Amino acid sequence: MSQKTAAGKVINEYSGTKIRANTGYRVFTICNYVFLTLLGFATFYPFWYVFIASLNTGRDFMRGGVWLYPRAFTLENYGLAFQDKQIFTSLQISVFITITGVVVGLLLTALVAYAMCVKTLPGRQAFNFFWYFTTIFGGGMIPYYMVLRTLGLNSTIWLYVLPSFYSFYNFILLRTNFAGVPYELRESAQIDGANDLSIFIHVYLPVSKPILATVALFIGVGKWNDWFTGAYYQSKTSLFPAATLLQKILAEATATQSIKEGQESAREAMNTYTSQSLQMAFVMILTMPIVIVYPFLQKYFVKGALVGSVKG
Amino acid sequence: MAQAEYSSFQLDEKRLKQRRRQQLWLAIQRHWMLYLFILPCFVSLIIFSYVPMGGIVLAFKNYKYNLGIYGSPWAGMKWFRSFVTSPEFWITIKNTLRITLLKLVICFPAPIILALLLNEVRNAKFKRVVQTVSYLPNFVSWVVVVSLMRTLFTPYGGIINEIRKQMGMEPVFIMGLKNAFLPLVVFSDLWKNVGWGSIVYLSAITGVDTQLYEAAVIDGASHGQQVWHITIPGIRMTIGIMFIMAVGGLLNAGYDQILLLQQPANLTMSQVLDTYVLQTGLKYGKFELATAIGLFKSVFSLIMVVTTNTLAQKYAEVGLW
Repeated sequence: MSQKTAAGKVINEYSGTKIRANTGYRVFTICNYVFLTLLGFATFYPFWYVFIASLNTGRDFMRGGVWLYPRAFTLENYGLAFQDKQIFTSLQISVFITITGVVVGLLLTALVAYAMCVKTLPGRQAFNFFWYFTTIFGGGMIPYYMVLRTLGLNSTIWLYVLPSFYSFYNFILLRTNFAGVPYELRESAQIDGANDLSIFIHVYLPVSKPILATVALFIGVGKWNDWFTGAYYQSKTSLFPAATLLQKILAEATATQSIKEGQESAREAMNTYTSQSLQMAFVMILTMPIVIVYPFLQKYFVKGALVGSVKG
Repeated sequence: MAQAEYSSFQLDEKRLKQRRRQQLWLAIQRHWMLYLFILPCFVSLIIFSYVPMGGIVLAFKNYKYNLGIYGSPWAGMKWFRSFVTSPEFWITIKNTLRITLLKLVICFPAPIILALLLNEVRNAKFKRVVQTVSYLPNFVSWVVVVSLMRTLFTPYGGIINEIRKQMGMEPVFIMGLKNAFLPLVVFSDLWKNVGWGSIVYLSAITGVDTQLYEAAVIDGASHGQQVWHITIPGIRMTIGIMFIMAVGGLLNAGYDQILLLQQPANLTMSQVLDTYVLQTGLKYGKFELATAIGLFKSVFSLIMVVTTNTLAQKYAEVGLW
């Protein structure tokens, strides 16, 4: 979607004759560029700042003044983070739930979206309402938690996959896209003797690759980022995903911040790293996959955002 | 389908009904595979969405673990009464509304303004870079955002405190300041969501009829006048719908973000309905009270959406349904 803006085009066409791009507008344009540059900088800089902090020795960072690039470069923080058994396990868990979450969620949601596109399906309207209703009303956190506990899910890794593989938003994205596949394709395949499963696999999936990629990414990012499920519903600390572990580390640091960090610098003066610098490396390990993947997939994300906002 | 050989009308209708039922049954059989497709999500929704809805009765019960939710004795409105009369009621309501109203005033118009500003950019490359960068925070977890904030604001080498030092001020532990809580909440929300939020408005702006601008230029409208009289009215529908949804979330302060920014020092400001539900329910195990508070919130939100929607339809001809 290249936003060739109407107003702009008109201004250019007419600027010679009817309207002169006056000084006021020129000043506005300059201010606008300056403002948007600052906005972009303000958005990007925190990431950069933590990135260089994670590549700097913790001790040196605490002296201040590390603003643009690492002053005392080191990979120690990353090395220590990966050596930490808890962090490493939590990363493995995060990778596992992201992958299974994407595979299970994408497949099962796509199957429902396909079925809901078959107009002759008896009960189609009722099913559509069944999917929709959960978005306007819910039982709330406590009854949900009690269901998890009754099923014993709150102490297994499936807590992160089973209860949440369906999402109405993703369902709408897929259904909107499947509805655009010519219905005749399905009918002619049926005449050739194909059943729904083979139509789904051989006709619908191949023509829907972009939207499948989009939904896969939405699910993946959601799973990777979800700290809440682990923090409030998981009873086994050994099953915390990385995002939850980071939150626990933050919470612990908060409780002791003002006292601990000062003491540490005296007690552990031998170390070049600090708990803060380790934490920065961990934050970057959590952020990197998204920052690396994101620019390539941005256009799919944007498409997804638009379809969802129009239909949902 | 009625055939002449059946003389009685009643018999005819009976037969027709039977026929229809048979056809429906055949249609269901013919689509058996599709039902199989639906089954996993159907079961999952029943268990994890519809069963918890039934769990709402908990708000009206005295929960006994050995009797189960449905076997436990009724408590009437006891839990609602005890919530409404507790001092936490007004504190949490006030805290929630303070945060959501601030967000409504600052974070709601911001993406609209950003979209309008981006729309004025002629340089396609510059625009793309700004967009790409501004969407990025939407994809990182709140945990990461709060970690970034802590690093920026820490008294131990954090850039904000370094600047304070340069200006001759004492370094402070900003994340723990009670008075910094609201600005931190609002501005981190702005930082994370403004870019992504502008997508919807940008696409609405491209949908505005080009001829309107041409006509306005011929009439001698200035650039600002075009934006004010054409672009903004042109995206009125989108703004309206987003506004209704925002009002529906008036009691949703965003528990994800609040929980992470909450600290003992700012608890009197940061205890909102959602965090209070979690605290009473999961921390103190008062399931009935927590469910009652949650239900109170859902019902209030539903009423708000319906009311705003009705008003918007009446006065602005915008609506969700």
